[in-house]
Amino acid sequence: MTHAPAVVIDNGTGYTKAGYAGNNDPQFIIPTCLALRESQGGNLSTKRGIEDLDYFIGDEALANSKTYGISYPIRHGTVDNWDHMEKFHQALLFHYLRCEPEDHHFLLTEPPLNPPENREYTAEIFFESFGAKGMYIAVQAVLALAASWAHGKTEQTLTGTVIDSGDGVTHVIPVAEGYVIDSAIKHIPIAGRDITQFVQQLLRERENSIPPEDSLEVAKRIKEMYSYVCPDIVKEFKKYESEGDKWFKRHEFVHSVTKKSYTIDVGFERFLGPEIFFSPEIVSPDFLTPLPQVVDEVIQGCPIDTRRGLYKNIVLSGGSTMYKDFGRRLQRDIKNMVVARLRHYESVAQVNLAQDQQIQGKNVDVNVISHKKQRYAVWFGGSLLADTAEFNSCYHTKAQYEEHGPSIARFNKVFASIH
Amino acid sequence: MLIDLHPANRVLDETLRERFNGTPEKLGQLKLADFDGVSYKVSTPDSKTVLHVSMYIACFAQLRAYGADDVLRREYGNLLEQTPEDGFDVTVKIDLENLPENKEDLIRKVSLLKRNALAAPFERAFTAQQEGNESELMVIQYRPDEAFYIKAQHDRVTVIFSTVFSEETDRIFGKVFLQEFVDARRSPATQNAPQVLYSAREPPMELRGLPNVVESENVGFVTFVLFPRHFVGPAAEGCISRIQLFRDYLHYHIKASKAYMHSRLRIRVDSFLKVLNRARPEQPDDKKEKKTASGKTFTRKETIGRPLSPVHDLSSHFQDPLHNPSTYGHCHL
Repeated sequence: MTHAPAVVIDNGTGYTKAGYAGNNDPQFIIPTCLALRESQGGNLSTKRGIEDLDYFIGDEALANSKTYGISYPIRHGTVDNWDHMEKFHQALLFHYLRCEPEDHHFLLTEPPLNPPENREYTAEIFFESFGAKGMYIAVQAVLALAASWAHGKTEQTLTGTVIDSGDGVTHVIPVAEGYVIDSAIKHIPIAGRDITQFVQQLLRERENSIPPEDSLEVAKRIKEMYSYVCPDIVKEFKKYESEGDKWFKRHEFVHSVTKKSYTIDVGFERFLGPEIFFSPEIVSPDFLTPLPQVVDEVIQGCPIDTRRGLYKNIVLSGGSTMYKDFGRRLQRDIKNMVVARLRHYESVAQVNLAQDQQIQGKNVDVNVISHKKQRYAVWFGGSLLADTAEFNSCYHTKAQYEEHGPSIARFNKVFASIH
Repeated sequence: MLIDLHPANRVLDETLRERFNGTPEKLGQLKLADFDGVSYKVSTPDSKTVLHVSMYIACFAQLRAYGADDVLRREYGNLLEQTPEDGFDVTVKIDLENLPENKEDLIRKVSLLKRNALAAPFERAFTAQQEGNESELMVIQYRPDEAFYIKAQHDRVTVIFSTVFSEETDRIFGKVFLQEFVDARRSPATQNAPQVLYSAREPPMELRGLPNVVESENVGFVTFVLFPRHFVGPAAEGCISRIQLFRDYLHYHIKASKAYMHSRLRIRVDSFLKVLNRARPEQPDDKKEKKTASGKTFTRKETIGRPLSPVHDLSSHFQDPLHNPSTYGHCHL
């Protein structure tokens, strides 16, 4: 059936994004969790019925958390419990996406530094249990790069640095020609959750009208609705002090239990929240390197012939990179660092050279790319790629799986072109 | 419980609900798929407030011959477009500014688009039986290699599915399942369920001599015999919804069983691994640490016979162990 579109599934620690290729947004964004009966995992031989189908996934799982036990099969980006993952996929395919896996091709994603064994396990699930027609496992960072092409202004390249910041952790991943440079990847323990906590803490110190049971929710809303990145923190504070009326916002919230409404002044936390990426010392005593510096270190750790390409194409992905002017600030800070280094090298080199042999360094382009699809960039990149004709020559087919076994899933061809 | 497959399309349901209750905005184009090679397109080509939902279904020509148009017109009325969009078979147009009072009802109806299109031959057969007529044998080729056949007789309606198992294991699972149907019917709770017959390879009598009936090793035929009590009155709707999803239901449960088998395999392998990890090879006797009566430990160096040199960690304890055979005996214990 030529009509059947490929299915793109991006399993994240927090949320799973799933949908059909060719669409702009994932059709399902559901928590990656299952609700199972507690008795499961007991003596297998006593089970004779259909207890194995007594479970829920996603939001329905959370809704049933009173009577069922909740399990999160993915931890820190990698699959932890394959049994549960298989069940999760089963329900997702048949009950959510309603697709007969024998008719569809699948594009799945994997986090950076995923052990190759996990690809084999995934292939086993998709080919053995579901009998999928074909399957491809893409690296999330590469898909994020592909998603940035939708932006239109940049050339379609698979070389670039991906800054992927979700709820739990932020990765900085350099990619050269579609291959991830594993040795240079760096993780930052600052992400969405930390910003929420910081905002919550700031609000607690200043506002006393927030009911404690709602404070996390309020912090989350304020973070999502009002946060932005400021160019200079000192100037920003002055602005707020001199023209408070213009900058302070008021937001009305409704108490979750009593349904009474209350108003909150939203002030400094607007720019202080995202600021922790740039000045981590304001929240964390043990992690002190600002994000721009981490990006610079990552690129400096890569092979020298890739560095220009990596500076030129710094791509943002994930919900915690959505703050206004985040990209602009990042670009400015990295640029300053790069230019300063270039000047330093120049001056060092020129000392040893005669006046007429003086050389000038070629400037390094630094571009941070923000685009509209940033939040679900990985899924969107997958949707783009799986909709191209080239995808057809890249996935592993069921016949290949049967011929060679699960090890074929270890290697996934790099492909990148949109016609 | 995730036992039954739902007849409605979940994505359509959610998309429509979002559209109906939110502010109208431009929708790029939503491409969806459903079981049996059905695909949908949801788009707003003309204006933001007019939603087009189109469906492609491979066997629509056949369905139309069995009265699908009438069923669809009855269900969707004016919403149904005369000429469907290019490449699709059915198009429903919804004006978001003119929604009916009962939005939920409309959402439900549209998300059942596939179900309603496929319902036509069933309804025709049920009506024919009610009137005491026999109908022709209706053939619906709903997948490239699979079809279902419906025939009304004077006292019953027979529905036959042909299904292909792409894998050897699937075929065996399928066989066990279908034989289980026959047994399950003996239990008192399901006495009234329709009779189910299963035959592998050989098509049942009704289909003998029909063109396009695939006979091969991995094809199975499932026959449902429906009596009026199964489809008269309010029972009809549920009956149609369930029976047309039978093939997907069967394959879903085959896959679920395989997933279940996998989880048992994993548990078993884990338990074997635990045993393996516990089973450290024991050190040979002479490599073991031994203790003297006073609590000191030592290892014996030589294996058999008289040692040539004093046991080093005891040497300080005994002045001249070589000439003191009794201490030797002691050590050996």
